Amino acid sequence: MKESPLFWPARLKKSVLEVLDETLIPDKVRYIKVKNTDGAVKVIRDMKTRAFGQFLVVLSTFLLELGKMKSFKKTDLKGQQKVLAKIQNIASSLNKSRPTFPFAEVTGIVVRWAMMAIDSRLDVRSFVMKNTQGYLESIRAKRLERVNNIAAIIEDGDTILTHCNVSGELAMAAALCKEQKKEVHFFATETRPYFQGARLTCWELQQMGADVTLIADNAVGSVLADRLISKVIVGSDRSCANNDFANKIGTYQIAVVAKKFNTPVYVLVQPSNRIRTGKDIPIEIRKAEELLKFNGKKVFRGKVEGFYPGFDVVPAELVKQFIAIKVTENA
Amino acid sequence: MPKQRIEIEDLKNMEKRIILLHGVFAPAFFDELKKQSPEYVFILEGRPHLEAAKSSAQELLKRGMTPTIIADNMAGFLFYKDLVKEVCLSYVDTSKRGSLCFIGASILVLLARRHGVVVSLYPSGKKVKKEMIALEKDLLFFNGVRVAPKKIKAYVPLLEWVPIKKIED
Repeated sequence: MKESPLFWPARLKKSVLEVLDETLIPDKVRYIKVKNTDGAVKVIRDMKTRAFGQFLVVLSTFLLELGKMKSFKKTDLKGQQKVLAKIQNIASSLNKSRPTFPFAEVTGIVVRWAMMAIDSRLDVRSFVMKNTQGYLESIRAKRLERVNNIAAIIEDGDTILTHCNVSGELAMAAALCKEQKKEVHFFATETRPYFQGARLTCWELQQMGADVTLIADNAVGSVLADRLISKVIVGSDRSCANNDFANKIGTYQIAVVAKKFNTPVYVLVQPSNRIRTGKDIPIEIRKAEELLKFNGKKVFRGKVEGFYPGFDVVPAELVKQFIAIKVTENA
Repeated sequence: MPKQRIEIEDLKNMEKRIILLHGVFAPAFFDELKKQSPEYVFILEGRPHLEAAKSSAQELLKRGMTPTIIADNMAGFLFYKDLVKEVCLSYVDTSKRGSLCFIGASILVLLARRHGVVVSLYPSGKKVKKEMIALEKDLLFFNGVRVAPKKIKAYVPLLEWVPIKKIED
């Protein structure tokens, strides 16, 4: 299956983690060299990577840092405790990077492996690295499987509306549909203020040979009312026990309008029951400057203010189907 | 007006206190708005030309009101958090079909209906050309910078009919 660079946007190369700089696409496909946890936090906070990229960077950061650590004998309990402390420090730094994505849930998995190794008198470093690698491989396989599932949902003649960017999976499903001789058209919202829809989604769909049209975020009502759309497919950044989910700002209003026009909404999710309902999801409010300036230039004259919530919460009742991947912690 | 720089902790005190504007309004609209001493006035950008935000921002600033600008995809968040008191839309034409409003109006009307928020319609403030569709390039660039790959198609409706019954029901 042909892969989009956004499907697996970070890769560990010896002692460097290379992270795809999504802010440069479509002009350049360039990877940022991350050498330590601080660098990983920075690429996340600066939104050089997002969505699945954050998940990948988090797990890869443990591999990066542990790979640089010296090994201790299994019997060296002090040494093993040092490794555990290091893992806990990495987790703590990553957890503070951004509020909405469930960083603590992901780092918690790694910390639990380390504690398990301590309890079982195993070498923490090798146990955690082995499990992390296995976990990543398993995630990769599940995501590839989900690409097939998305392609199966898409029917010949469908017109799909998507928002922001679904980290490679939708574009790869589009390529599969093409192989299967299905005629499919995509509409991508531009996704202000970072234009992930215009820059990333249009680009990767184009790269995969799909037919895509860009629309403004405010044109969603028009295209749905005019029955130009047969399905809405979006990703998610966080899920709740009641299936409410958080995704890029703009998703809620798309779901509300789609419901009005009986257009089914499909959501790619990673199920979690750590948070009860969408009301409990912490929403990141980003700097107004990111909205009011573009490329270093002010967009509006005068002393105006801006408000930039990064994510929407979408109630589960607006969704037709969740397309889930579930990977067990013990890879 | 209260402070306009809004942080997450402020939201709990802003329930039903935002007036949300979308479109291009006549100066008289802003005179009337000022009389109401609104606590928070939010305006949508109005892609692709940003005409809605730019014109409303200047009118509000002239009258000593500080507008808060949001992107067109952020209105839903305000409704979800129950922050919107009223939606004001401008229209450029009316007919049996309803009102011809700036693109994005139908999203606001549906959000308002879902959340029990009042929608008010006002005539557009200036001679807006009744162009239904803009050029593709208008969407492919932002602030003079290209934001989409080359050879990408764009569909850029500028106005949309909002059936009156959607507002009245």
